[in-house]
Order: sequence, then structure tokens, then C-alpha cells
Amino acid sequence: MNFNSPFALPFSIGCVVMFAVIAYKYVRWLYIMPDSDKRQIKANIFSRRTWQAVGECVTESLLHRRIFRVNPVLGYMHMSLAFGWFLLIATGFVETVAYMGWTPVPLRGHVFFKYYSREMPHTEMWQMVFTQVMDALLLFVLSGVALAWCKRVYSKMMGMRRTTRHVWGDRIALTALWCIFPARLLAESTTAALWHNGGFLTGTVGSLLASSLSVEALLRMENAVWLFYALALGVFFCAMPFSRYMHIFTEVPLIFLRRWGVTSDDRPKSFDHFQLEACSRCGICIDPCQLQRDAGINNVQGVYFLRDRRYNMLSAEVADTCLMCGRCSERCPVGLDINKLRQNSRYSLHNSPSFRRYDYLRGVDSSVGSGKVGYFAGCMTLLSPRIMLAMEKIFDSAGEQVWWADRNGGVCCGRPLKLAGEIDAAREMMRQNTALFVKHGITTLVTSCPICLKVFREDYNLPGIEILHHSEYIARLLDEGRLKVKCNQTEYTYHDPCELGRGCGVYEPPRQVIQSVGQLLEPEETRNHALCCGSSIANTTISDGAQLRIAESLGRSLEATGAQSIVTACPLCKKAVKRGTKLPVYDLAEVVADNLTAQSPQSE
Amino acid sequence: MKVTVIGGGVAGIQTALALKGLGLKPVIIEKEDTLGGKLRGWHKLFPTMTPVGEVLEPLLRELREQNIPIMASTEVLGIETDGVITSHGKVESRATVVCSGFDLFDATLKEEYGYGIYDNVITSADLERMMNNGKVALVDGTQPRRIAFLHCVGSRDEKVQQRHCSKVCCVTGVKQAIEMRRWFPQSEIYNFYMDIRMFGSGYEEMYRSAQQEHGIQFIRGRISEAAPVPGGKVQIKAEDTLIGRPLKMTVDMLILLIGMTAGCSNSHWAECAGLEQSDSHFMRPLNVFEGNVRSALPNVFYAGTVTAPKTIGESLNEANAVAFRVAEYLKGL
Amino acid sequence: MIDFGFGVNTARAINMDTNDLDTAREIFDRLPDLQTCIACGSCTATCTAGAITSFNFRKVHTLVRRGEYGEAYAEMSKCMLCGKCRLVCPRGINTRGVVMLIKKKLGDY
Repeated sequence: MNFNSPFALPFSIGCVVMFAVIAYKYVRWLYIMPDSDKRQIKANIFSRRTWQAVGECVTESLLHRRIFRVNPVLGYMHMSLAFGWFLLIATGFVETVAYMGWTPVPLRGHVFFKYYSREMPHTEMWQMVFTQVMDALLLFVLSGVALAWCKRVYSKMMGMRRTTRHVWGDRIALTALWCIFPARLLAESTTAALWHNGGFLTGTVGSLLASSLSVEALLRMENAVWLFYALALGVFFCAMPFSRYMHIFTEVPLIFLRRWGVTSDDRPKSFDHFQLEACSRCGICIDPCQLQRDAGINNVQGVYFLRDRRYNMLSAEVADTCLMCGRCSERCPVGLDINKLRQNSRYSLHNSPSFRRYDYLRGVDSSVGSGKVGYFAGCMTLLSPRIMLAMEKIFDSAGEQVWWADRNGGVCCGRPLKLAGEIDAAREMMRQNTALFVKHGITTLVTSCPICLKVFREDYNLPGIEILHHSEYIARLLDEGRLKVKCNQTEYTYHDPCELGRGCGVYEPPRQVIQSVGQLLEPEETRNHALCCGSSIANTTISDGAQLRIAESLGRSLEATGAQSIVTACPLCKKAVKRGTKLPVYDLAEVVADNLTAQSPQSE
Repeated sequence: MKVTVIGGGVAGIQTALALKGLGLKPVIIEKEDTLGGKLRGWHKLFPTMTPVGEVLEPLLRELREQNIPIMASTEVLGIETDGVITSHGKVESRATVVCSGFDLFDATLKEEYGYGIYDNVITSADLERMMNNGKVALVDGTQPRRIAFLHCVGSRDEKVQQRHCSKVCCVTGVKQAIEMRRWFPQSEIYNFYMDIRMFGSGYEEMYRSAQQEHGIQFIRGRISEAAPVPGGKVQIKAEDTLIGRPLKMTVDMLILLIGMTAGCSNSHWAECAGLEQSDSHFMRPLNVFEGNVRSALPNVFYAGTVTAPKTIGESLNEANAVAFRVAEYLKGL
Repeated sequence: MIDFGFGVNTARAINMDTNDLDTAREIFDRLPDLQTCIACGSCTATCTAGAITSFNFRKVHTLVRRGEYGEAYAEMSKCMLCGKCRLVCPRGINTRGVVMLIKKKLGDY
């Protein structure tokens, strides 16, 4: 069979460009990967994880299970395009093989098989079945294209209030993509009109064409529409590696690398490229963003940040304007670690060597007391004396000997500087505090501040010291019977601090504690979907007014539970939430301290 | 012709008296069981150190003599064109004067100062109450030797959404400092301020005498936080901004000069009568010039601190002004 | 005390005629809230770094606002960015943003 018809040329060029660019990118990224990541890959490549990655590729790259969970229609749209197209290619390949046997067929032969096989006999049952199946698959994909059109016009249908604003490259690729399948329908229908080899879809459209056009016109048209189809494919393939559609292939290596244990880091590295280019710019991250919802900031969301960074046009403003609350990553269908990427972008933008900036920290020790349990209040807690006093009462009641690390002022934990990208500087703080903890020989470190907690757990090296948030510590005291509280009928609602919940995965202990003193009512968006208070330490750009609007919006959602008081477990959240509500706002420690029964076993 | 006066504080009382003087028939609606409003909780008035009774008693006496009807313990539920709906039924009237006043700022909202947490952190209102009761002392009954006043608590503060200047706290701080000097001649008294706004007649003189004759020390800097010290004392942190260095001080008593916040009923007026509030939630007068006691509605008027923080004298002036405006309006009907 | 670079032979006055105020203006443009500072000193009073060393946030940003940029970068670099100042600022100034911005704009001085 002759596969040298000139109309297929744009397709062939497109394929060459696409595969060459992608191969170049992947090889380069893998080549510059740090040795530690390469070792990670070697260690895990022949393990169960590889099979798990295969499974994830099917459920995510093809079926888009996570998008289904966001919205079924949106999920169907993505699935019909991805899975439908995949099936179209796969079935097309099988069909070619069925017709031609295992003779080598160029790629274009598979893709344009309907054209090339038009003169072949088309009477066998299995041939009919192939035709019908291919038509059904085409219809499946076309339904996705139709939904994509609808989404542009009316995104709410798919549960999205806002969709992504695209760059030029994306628009070209998107236009080409939208043309591909209608073009294929037209091309195959024209051929079907002439050769009567169409199925229920192409056959029907074909007979419509045949009834309104002459054979000469159809013959002239046939080459034109196939050229148009090939052009659409060619343009799409050429634009693809430079557009958001790079995610189609990149998600696959991303899934494998991730399963093998490769992650992004505080400093930029090669794996970031896989994450950046695996973003499909679906825009699912836009709606959950409170900067968009409440503060009217529309150009910094995960999708825009990743896009700007990918095309090397990231401004400090976009990188810095983020609460790093992590709500977007919770929803991201590709599971991108947007916070880590933002973190290392900030590192590139702001890190400066620490020199001797923090020489003044050396030897600072204003701690008081002694004991195996150390309490690190955190800077913010020092501005919330009720928490300090409540903790004191709790320690007393449990008969705990406590070393107070920073009651009279201390050194910052380092997380704020780290979040701002100044990792070298943050290390100075970490060194200082680590030395302090080691010097005083504590075995347990309790903190009231989730910001400190996260950095203690992630960045400090404290062998032999157990690090606990006060919610975990109090829950343990209650479990062990070292604290006795009375339970009343007060209805509390709980606000999950970002750094504690999404940040450290501590969801249960605070809830247990609240339920031991009263009733717990959950707000609509809770746990890993909980709202941010707006005062996040990760942000150095938004105004007080914007922080307030976010807090008020959170306040409304907490008030909607009908609870009498709001409880949270972060001094910063406590201050922020209070600005947005008339209800009383307590720290977890306060409600426990207020409900302690006079005598606990130790003090008897 | 009947006019309802909502609120029986100084502004409301004087409004009723002035209306009566113009031949109208005022009726006072007061949500509490006695008249006098916030003034009843005060001890002496700046800048003349006049005992509150000397201002309030003649007003109340006059009210009785004039037989002005008073509906005490009555809530106003709605303001309408032909009267006021109250918890005790409808009061028909041709015009309404809203004199519902202000609220004191809730100092527990500034948790870092420890009000309601530490023993000897009190507010300016608490101090007046103590002086009225004839006993100013620390919680343990002893005398304070070192006293600090902090200005602007709940005023000019974005963090508690109180953007406005409460106007009277500066001079109240100076007045109370002088009073504390009289109570405790041996004590050290410090006023932590950001700006001292002595706008009224006799205020600046009082400020000067506080410095010159009463030895009150003024430190320019806002206290950022207070921490407890054993023995019921409080350690405060501020920056002495004139020197540019942080300052720490242990004091026996910390007095927070709390500001005026918009009355809690203001949002209710806005809702039920379609009246406007300013950014700080005080009621917005028609304008701040000749319309300063009028609202956007022709039959609703304002007097006193319902529209902004004011001194007693200013509230009394507005009461007289509003009576004139009401009479003018009723004449035109 | 910090030496802000004044020697015995240099004029003591802040010379608003000769000082370069462009950078100060750029800082204001980005963070106009900084203009609202009433110099209450809460930030400095509560400052975690200021409790240990001579860092005075209020003074440094005020000097910057007057076009006195010497040492501003080195001084601001002492900040630990903990955010207590932002929490106490009665004017709602984005103090941490000010620190970042001054460091960025005055890194060359």
C-alpha cells in the first residue's frame, strides 16, 4: 500500500518535532538529576512501586479519577479526551494490524487508516465491528470536545467558577486540539461518502454529504479535509511540547519518579521540571484559592505560578503572593507539590548568604525552669498570654516539670525566613535553637505554634527528642489520665490551622481534645480542605485589608456551624480569626485549662 | 407635637429639655432602668475636675420638673416615619432624635495587654468606678507605687477595626494621671502615648500642669505587650521612640485608656431605618457642617456620640442644636 | 548604639535637598501603607531580634524614608521575619513586606 500521500506531511513533521523536543527535554532532565535522586530511582525501579506507578498512570493519566472527585462532568470531559484518544490510537493500531498483518506500517498509516484503506474490500463482519467501534470512540472524544467548548462558555456547569486564562502557545495548541476531532469526523465522513466504508457516525454524516454534494466536489474535498486533519494534528504536535499539553506525556514520568521516591526540595532541582510541565493548567486550583476568592488577586494561583516559572517569566510578586496554605495542592489532579516549588522559587529569588547577619544569636539563652519536657511557645504565642497561662495550668495540673525555652523571649524557629526563601539565614536560627534544646537535655519538645512544629519536624535534626504540638501533648495527657477535664454541653467549632493540618497532618488530636470538653461542630470546609485564616506567615505581600477580608470570610464559615465558640490550635490563626468574627475565639489549651477539674491524680 | 428621643444619656436628656423649651412634646426611651448613660459610671470630668453629679443632677432634676415622659427599660425595635416601635408598643411621633451613644471598647480584644488575664491591668472606666467607690487599690488591697497609663487602646487601631481617634482619651489620661497623683502622692506615674491631642479649651493647660506640677512622666511609645511578674506586677514593653530604644518597665498597675466604639445598636438603626453608617460604624450624619445633627431621612435626627466620639460639652451643644433643627422641620410640615 | 555612618566632620542634618529619595519613593509605591506609620514603636518594642541586638525596625525604615540608606540593608538583615511586629502594628502595615522590600531595593548600598 502506498502511504506517501502528500497531505500527511504536516502530521509527520509534527510528530518528528514533538518526539524530538520531548526526548531532548526528558533526557536532559534525567541527565542533570542529582545523584541522590538517581540512586533513589535505582533503588526502587525493580520494586512494587513501579507497578503502582503503572496503575496510577491508568487511573490518573487516562481515567482522571481525581478530577472525577472534583466534579463528575469535568472528570468525564478530561477522561473522554485522554482515554478516548488513547483508545482511538490503540484500536486504530489493532485495526491496521488486522487489515495488514504484521507488515511495517508508518505511523501516518495507522492514524489515517480510513483514508488508506478506502479502496480495500470492506465486507467482513470484523471489519464492520472495527468501523463501528472506531466511530463510537470518535463520538466519545467529540463529546469531550463539546464539553470543553461548553466549559469555555459556562464553566459553572463543571463546578468551576473560574477557568484559566491562557498564554498564546496554549491558545494555538488549544485551537488545533479542538479542530483535530471535528476534522477527523469530516475527513472520514467525506471518504465514507465516496467509498461507503463509514460506521454509524461517519457513515451517516457521509451520506448527508453525498446527498448534498456531487461526486466531483466530494473528490476535490476529500484531499482538502484530510490535509486539514493532518494540519490540525501537525500544528498541535509542534505546539504541544511548548504548551500546557506537554502534561499529556509528562504526567507519566512524573508518576513513576514520584513513586520511586523523587521529590522536589527547598532548593530548585531537575525534578521540578517534571512537576512544572506536568501541570495541565486545568485551573482546578483557582477556585479554592482564597486570595482569588476574598482578596481579588487573580494572577498568582498555582496554575499561573507554574506557568510563569516554566516560561522563565516568574516575578517575585507572583512567587511571594501566596499564603502557602496548600488548599490548591489538595485539589490538584496531578498531585503537584505547588508549595515546595514555590518555596524553591523563593529560594532562587531571595536567598542570600547569611554572612554574619545573625552573629548576635550566639549564646542567647533566656530560658527558665528545668525538666525533660521543653516548651517552646513560639513568637506568636508570646503575644497571646492566655495560651501561655493555659499551658502553665495544664503542665501544673499534669505535674510536669517543664523547661520554658522562650518565655522571656527567644529566637525565632526559622520557618518564616525559610518560607521567604532565605534558607541559609533560617539555618542560623535552627542551629541556635538546636544547640539550646540539646544543652538543656530535653526529651520532649512541646510547642503551641504549628509553624514552629512544622520546621522542628522537617528541618531540625533532634535525635532523642520527641516533637509534639500541644494538641498532641494534651491529647496524650488526657489519654493517660494525667489530666482530668469536665465535659459540658458547649458547642465548639474547630478551625484547622494550615501548618498543623495540611502541613503536619495533625487532624485528630485537637478534635479528640475538644470532644473531651464539649461538642464539636465541623464547618463545611474542614480538615484537608479547611480555609486559611489569611495571616499566614508564608505571605509577605498582601495588605492588612486583604488579610481581614479572608479572616471575615473564614469567620462567616465558622459562624455558620451555629457553634457558640471557635477553637483553633495556632496563636496566629487565633488572632486572625478573631478579627473576622464576633464569636469568642480560643486556643485549644484555653478550653482545656478552663475545664480542668480541680484535682488531677498528680496534684492530689 | 410629639418627638421621640432614643437614649437617656446626657445628649438625650438635654435634647428632651431643649425640645420641651421650644414647646414640643419629647418622650425619652431608655433601654436601661435609669437615665444618665455612661456618665453615671464616671467620677470627675475634664478639664475642670467637676464631679459628675454637678452636671448630671441638675439635668435629671430639670427633667422631673418639666414632667417629660420617660420610658425606661424599653428597647427600640424599629424607627418609622410616624413613630418608633418599642418593646412596649408603638410610640407615635413626628420626629425621632437618636441619642443612643457609644460603647466602651472591649479591652479583652487586645489580649497582649492582659486585661481580664492579669490582676492589675484595668481600664480607664474601671478606674473611674474605683474612684466612685472611694477605693483605688491593687487587687491585694495595697497601694500602687508605679502606675502606667496606655493611650489609644481600641483607637487608631486597624487590628481591632477601630480606625478612628476617640478624641477624649488623651485628656482623660491626663486627668486620671493627675487624680492618681492625688490618691498616691508618692507614686511614679507614666503615660505612654503616641500623640497627645489636646484640642479643647483648658486641655493643654491641664497637660502642662500634669507635667509641671504633678510630675507625670510622658513616654512616647505604644506598649506592645504586658507580661505577668510574680507579686501581681506587670512588666510592660514599649519603645521609647524619642530615644529609639526598646524599654521595659515593671509596674504595679497598668491602666488602659479605652476608646469609644460605635454603639452596638447602630447596625440595627442602619438596618431597620435604612440609615447610613461611617467606616467606623458610627452613624453618618447628613454632613458634618450644617447637617451635623440630621440624618439622610428628614424625620430622623442625631445628637451626641451616636455619630462620633464627643465630649460631654459637645454632646450638650448638639442636643440644643438638634432641638432647633427638629422644631424647624416640624414647622415646615 | 548603631553607627549610622556619621563622622565628626560630616554634617549631622538629614539633608532632604541632596538625599536621593527615588528609592524611598519606589518603596512607598510598592507598599503605600508604610506612609501611615505613626512611629508608635510597637514593632520595635515587640521585636524578637530587637530584644537581643540593637536592631530597630522603626528607626531603620524611617531613615530609609528620609533617603538615608547607609547600613539599612545590613540592619534589616538582622530581622528574623518572625512577624510579631506585623501582629502588633496598629496601622496594619505589612512590616515583613517592608523588610523584604528594603533588603531587595537597598542590597547595593
